[in-house]
Amino acid sequence: MLPFTNYLLLAFKFFFVLGAVLYFIFSIVIVKQTTTMSQNVSDKFNPFLIAFSYLHLLFAFSLIILTLIIL
Amino acid sequence: MSRSSNLDNVAPDDIIVTPKPKSINPTKTTISPTPPSSSVNSAYRQKINEILGHTKHPFSAFLAHPKVFSFKEKDDQEVILLVLRQHWFTNVGWIVIAVLMALAPLLLRFIPLLASFPLNYQFISVLFWYLITITFIFERFLSWYFNVYIITDERVVDIDFNNLLDKKFSEAKISMIQDITSRVSGLSQTILNYGTVYIQTASEVPEIQFEKVPNPEKVILVLQQLRQEEEQEALEGRVR
Repeated sequence: MLPFTNYLLLAFKFFFVLGAVLYFIFSIVIVKQTTTMSQNVSDKFNPFLIAFSYLHLLFAFSLIILTLIIL
Repeated sequence: MSRSSNLDNVAPDDIIVTPKPKSINPTKTTISPTPPSSSVNSAYRQKINEILGHTKHPFSAFLAHPKVFSFKEKDDQEVILLVLRQHWFTNVGWIVIAVLMALAPLLLRFIPLLASFPLNYQFISVLFWYLITITFIFERFLSWYFNVYIITDERVVDIDFNNLLDKKFSEAKISMIQDITSRVSGLSQTILNYGTVYIQTASEVPEIQFEKVPNPEKVILVLQQLRQEEEQEALEGRVR
């Protein structure tokens, strides 16, 4: 592989990892948002929504790990 | 006595106590408080129940007498009569976008945008795309689910969440409501029977809008009944 292509892929890897980290931070915000909303307005499905937000957080964390491993 | 000293003696803020005249007839007369006219109250409630009916579906945009639902600012004695969300049809726009977003990676078979990248990079790109799609769907759903309009036996409440840092809570007492207007405009609103209810109030919030809610005419009828009930309570001196 050409050295230029290597540098390009390295740059892409950096951006993917950065994107995954930012996404993880955003998913923390979503968890916080869902919890705050649920505290203000409580309904039957709030526990499911909170559980889903935490599941999403887990996916976001997995994405960071996966990006570091696969790329 | 000069005028100024006279005024000092009789200051306007002083409580003037007049001696009670001695009772000549010692018969005890007790005035019993007005009995709560629960029958009048229940008649209003009966009418409201007839107007609202029952909602079984928990994801309904028109939740009559919800059993589980509550909100932070609710008083203990307050009874939630109706919870409204925007009509389900208002979600169609973002659902279509979400479906298109979910199907977008399939286009890569026909338009090989990522073909020049190694397979692992392609895989991560698609994974990123799907997570963004899930977030988009979840955010839109939360926005619809938590933006609620509530009618209790005492007040109307509008709770809006625009994002984490922006929560808007507006309320007006039923007794403060002056005018109620509804507007159903456009093809979809006419066919599916949803519209915006404008509630003009004499309170600090001049207008509360229930945007794109189902059955606006029922909402108006319920508010009318509640206003009549409040007027009745005020006449009987039973204002909470």
